[in-house]
Amino acid sequence: MAFVVEQLLNALALAGLLFLVSAGLSLVFGVLRVVNFAHGVFYMLGAYLGFTAVKVSGQFWLSLIVVPPIVGAVGALLEAWTLRFIYRRPPIYQLLLTFGLALILEESIRVLYGPTAMGVDPPGILQGPVELLGAIYPRYRLFLIVLSVTVGVAVWLFLQRTRAGLVIRAVAQNSEMADCLGANVARVRTLVFGAACALAGLGGVAAAPMTTAYLGMGISVIVDAFVVVVIGGLGSIVGSMAGSLIVGAAQTWGAFYLPETAMVIVYAVMGAILIFRPWGLFGEEE
Amino acid sequence: MTPARTRALALAVLGALALLPWVLARYQLSILVDLLIFGLFAMSLDLILGYTGMVSFGHAAYFGLGAYGSALVLIHFEQPVPVALLAGALLAGLVAAPVGWFSTRATGIYFAMLTLAFAQLLYTVAYKWRELTGGSDGIAGVPKTTLFWGGPSLAEPRLFYFLVAACVVLSLVACRALVRSPFGRALQAIRENERRFVSLGRDPRPFKVVVFVIAAVFAGLAGALFAPFRGFASPEVMFWVLSGQGLMMVITGGIGTLVGPVLGAMVFILVQEILSSYTEHWMLFTGVIFVLIVIFLPGGVVGTTRRWLEAPR
Repeated sequence: MAFVVEQLLNALALAGLLFLVSAGLSLVFGVLRVVNFAHGVFYMLGAYLGFTAVKVSGQFWLSLIVVPPIVGAVGALLEAWTLRFIYRRPPIYQLLLTFGLALILEESIRVLYGPTAMGVDPPGILQGPVELLGAIYPRYRLFLIVLSVTVGVAVWLFLQRTRAGLVIRAVAQNSEMADCLGANVARVRTLVFGAACALAGLGGVAAAPMTTAYLGMGISVIVDAFVVVVIGGLGSIVGSMAGSLIVGAAQTWGAFYLPETAMVIVYAVMGAILIFRPWGLFGEEE
Repeated sequence: MTPARTRALALAVLGALALLPWVLARYQLSILVDLLIFGLFAMSLDLILGYTGMVSFGHAAYFGLGAYGSALVLIHFEQPVPVALLAGALLAGLVAAPVGWFSTRATGIYFAMLTLAFAQLLYTVAYKWRELTGGSDGIAGVPKTTLFWGGPSLAEPRLFYFLVAACVVLSLVACRALVRSPFGRALQAIRENERRFVSLGRDPRPFKVVVFVIAAVFAGLAGALFAPFRGFASPEVMFWVLSGQGLMMVITGGIGTLVGPVLGAMVFILVQEILSSYTEHWMLFTGVIFVLIVIFLPGGVVGTTRRWLEAPR
């Protein structure tokens, strides 16, 4: 029993982090029709800035609040300076542009921080284990689960229940029509891009105490996030949730029973789903 | 350009390729070999990217499979290099078949993400399968064996260069014939309007799978040349960065031109070579150049030159 609870919680914590990244990826695709290859690097940027913020201020909670908007601002600026000019081109150009941005950001972080991984201490209240249903479990991972569920619900409510969310959904559905009806499409795109980067940055700050901040965390998370959105369907927040849970579960149990081949399990699951739903569980045919 | 001018240009290039090894210093010749190998890699990617309109973000995997296949054959069986080339290209094609079959179930950006995911999977396998691939160290000491059984040793740099040049020129000729064949026309029809292709009563998927495998075979050939040339095969050659760079070479040179990507690869490798001699953070500048090229040079070198040549004066 204790073992099952532990594995279940591990899967949920991993799924939570994956969701914070893949939700933004999916949102950007829905609104901008761009697959943001640099999305993982914003996650990494969040982790490194989180490390700096904690080191400077000694306040984890403050860092968790301050860093995501900074990452979001970097993202919004990059969108306004580069991506904005090439929306009319075929998708390959946008993918390559974000690939270039990923290289720039990744290498800048390497220049600034050097190649060693940076550890971040969780705040005192989240240190150490806690007993839960007979299992001894690290508090920090429980916090990750709570955080990602809260953020997930908040994002969903924002998109479904607010006026701004309505405009975003309108742009996602038909940007020309939204433009005609008076929505400022360019601004919506920039803000959504920035917000998605902020989500990834939040994921990065939250992940740092668990995984440390290290070079290469961006690409490893973006590949997982791609698998998540392929399973769940691009452009759907619910799809991101479902995909994150499936990938989180497959990786956790795979890592336990077949440690060397956890990724293979994930791909097998993805392959099986694709045979029946080529556009993902919640995606729509393009 | 008129056919006569194209022919003249092709002859000039062939002449230059034949003469260069006698002019260049040893180090320069080795850079030229590098340029040709990556040119072949970029050209193979153009078959799917430029002619079929499919964005593969995992093409480095087949380059890497070619490199590993050839390295293993050379180290364990000590066969002539052409046997290793065949083995590498075949291995790439064999793995590409199921990956292509899966990935072409999806289109557009889903296809790109799937190819990247499979490539990272192959990268992980190369990284973890220590007994066969040497893990992160890779396979070192890959020998440049002979040209054929009992033939001359390819350790002679000029001979190796000519082998590489011959492979690249022949591949270019083969790919050119391929894209001009009815099969190639069908690919371009898929690129232009896949729905129309379907409504004309053809199923695009077999075409896509076949061209994916063909492109992987040529990428595998490039990788199979790379392993004996550099003397090693490591997981680095399957890394996502190389896949992205491949796409960038195609775009830089000119998408859908075959020759363009070869030029693009050359420009790209040279710039990298120059940058890396000045700074270890060349990736940063490569990134900046990427961004600028994507924004300001959409047709690539060849496309832009062509437009400039054909512009009314």
